[in-house]
Amino acid sequence: MKVAILAAVLAVMQSGTTLSDPAEERRAQMLMREIRCVACENEPVSQSASDIAGDMREQIREMVAEGQTNSEIRAWFVDRYGEFVLFRPKADNPWGWMLWALPFAVLGVAGAGIVMMRNSRDLSERTVDAVPPDHEDGNTN
Amino acid sequence: MIEIGHFLAFLTLTLSVLIAIVGLRGDRALTGQLSIAAFVVMTVSFLTIVQAFMRSDFSVELVTNNSHTLKPMLYKFAGTWGNHEGSMALWCLVMAGFGAAGAVWLKSDRPVFEARTLGVQGLLGTGALAYLLFASSPYTRLETPPLQGSDLNPLLQDPALAAHPPMLYLGYVGYSFVFALAAAALIEGRVDRQWARIVRPWALGAFVPLTLGIALGSYWAYYELGWGGWWFWDPVENASLMPWLIGAAFMHSVTVTEKRGSLRSWTVLLAVAAFCFSILGAFLVRSGLLTSVHAFAVDPLRGSLLLTGLLIYGSFALGLFAWRAPSLKGGPDHYLASREGALIGNNLALGVATLTVLLGTLFPLIAEAFGQVMSVGEPYFNLTFTPIMAIALIALPIVQAWSWGRADWGNVWKWVAAFVGVVAFFWIIGVGVFDIPLLAGVGFAIGIWLIYGAGFEIWRRAKTGARLFKMPARIWGMTLAHAGLGVLTLGAVGETSLRQHSTLALEQGQSAQVADWTITLDRVAPIEGPNWYADRANLIAQRGNTRVELEPEKRIYPAARMPTTETAIHSTGTADLYVALGDKRIVDGTPRWTFEVFVKPLVDLIYLGALLIGLGAAMAMIGRRRKTAE
Repeated sequence: MKVAILAAVLAVMQSGTTLSDPAEERRAQMLMREIRCVACENEPVSQSASDIAGDMREQIREMVAEGQTNSEIRAWFVDRYGEFVLFRPKADNPWGWMLWALPFAVLGVAGAGIVMMRNSRDLSERTVDAVPPDHEDGNTN
Repeated sequence: MIEIGHFLAFLTLTLSVLIAIVGLRGDRALTGQLSIAAFVVMTVSFLTIVQAFMRSDFSVELVTNNSHTLKPMLYKFAGTWGNHEGSMALWCLVMAGFGAAGAVWLKSDRPVFEARTLGVQGLLGTGALAYLLFASSPYTRLETPPLQGSDLNPLLQDPALAAHPPMLYLGYVGYSFVFALAAAALIEGRVDRQWARIVRPWALGAFVPLTLGIALGSYWAYYELGWGGWWFWDPVENASLMPWLIGAAFMHSVTVTEKRGSLRSWTVLLAVAAFCFSILGAFLVRSGLLTSVHAFAVDPLRGSLLLTGLLIYGSFALGLFAWRAPSLKGGPDHYLASREGALIGNNLALGVATLTVLLGTLFPLIAEAFGQVMSVGEPYFNLTFTPIMAIALIALPIVQAWSWGRADWGNVWKWVAAFVGVVAFFWIIGVGVFDIPLLAGVGFAIGIWLIYGAGFEIWRRAKTGARLFKMPARIWGMTLAHAGLGVLTLGAVGETSLRQHSTLALEQGQSAQVADWTITLDRVAPIEGPNWYADRANLIAQRGNTRVELEPEKRIYPAARMPTTETAIHSTGTADLYVALGDKRIVDGTPRWTFEVFVKPLVDLIYLGALLIGLGAAMAMIGRRRKTAE
């Protein structure tokens, strides 16, 4: 473990401030956009000039270089700073379920409602005339 | 001078009350004259504030708090609306302006309806002016004027941001007139095809500046904040996005009402909702409720007044709506697979997208009220808003050719196969030369799909090249706007999935590699501006035979004691090379400067796309105008 940390720190130092492995750097940057800066008004650490955001970025890069998984890294920050720090709220509690499910639930229910209203009307009795849009536009424009 | 402005604002308030009374009683001629008078009076009142800023009259409290003698003239001028009180004065001015515009341009055979529209506009103006005069007066004098002001927030001293608030307000307040047209129609119980024809250009007239205003704000954030982001899903941005989405939904549903006479109650509800979302946006931004709960407590009056206004106007309109909605049925029948059905689908997607933005913006507040602390940010919207919009965008080219009433959709599978083909194309080239992630491949496909679909649709209507240029402005407008949506999608997907970001720490003369650029730090030197001083870095970026100089700055505005970043951007047409200057660090005795360097492919397309959407909506509006004039 210690060797790994040392290697990670060295990796960070060697490349200046970016991880040398592009895939790891991409993962770190993805996490930086998810973790909220704890000193700023409403910014992820990827977009904050404050010192603590810089430290948090470095922390993320180190943990990525150590090979920790995304959820381990998120959990580490939540342990320190609480749920507040996650811009991607967790879906493991009723509040989270509600937040994540509501848009799709509304879409599904409203969509189903529209379809059912349409189908309950008996259209077979009359014929509905198909009016091409260009014909209509040609008349009015 | 400012006292005259103060007096004239009171006069405008009085006129607004008169407009409301006379207008709702139905006297078209007098209401029109009063509306124009109110606009003239409010203009002069606003100019007294502008003059106080231009002359740096520090006996005016607002000028002291937001200006400085050394500030360039443009920002003294634009500083008028770079603060709460001044921007509310602008809001009142634009509101009176729309009243006057309505007085001049509303020309139907329904004078009573027109008078009532202006009357409702007067009612809205009364609320805005009362709020301006009693809760956020820009006309206050100081007993002992200071010699110097405390400067405008330096971040706002920027040409794009000077133009951003007026644009945004033209959009927000433009929807007040749409609201007024809807309320007047509900009072009369007459929401019909003629009403739809009258309201449509006004809705477009609000949509165009709102689009451009949002784009300007986004562009400003891109080059000024120094992080290369163009959309942050910040509550303030969401506040402007919600009325825009509702406005876009309204544009489509009003077409159904205009052409077919159906969907009337839904259309009028959207007309009301657009302005309610505008006020909600103002409330969210102005109350400080969202960025910090405590700021709300500091000045609870303004926030609660705005909320009260929203509740009064909202319940007024919804009450009218509940009263009249049962009578607003009608229009020819249609199948689900029809042009009507397609536009209902558009409204469903845009409506749910709006609710998603609202939910994500307000949810942390609601949860906090129940003791649950959480944050909602970009990842949430990427996983909810984006897929919902993506479905709608994939469907757009397929359903836009559908006929009213009943569509022949036997060929849908061909369209679906074509889309799958485009996705497959991006996936195949993605594993080759270009490193495109799978989801980004779908995103690029949607962008190309929309552009192709827009071109296909206008060609389908025109049938021959010669007729293409004789197509009505309205059709060209629709084509441009839909193609613009595609261009914007390409830009957004390209920037999001292919951007590269490096943080460099360079000594003088040192080089580093970012993507295919070699970047060398030539020197960092101090320079001085009119009201700021700065460190300016001189970087040389090379790629092949191309050699460009980049000069990012880190400015300090001593009056406001605030640093800003001035980024340097080199646009190659296909990508932006973007550099922001960071801090100076001493490493082993030698100074090193940090730089945030981004390579942002296709980012310009985002702004080009937004411009095309605005241009398309403007063409659609002008096309209408000419028609009504005939």
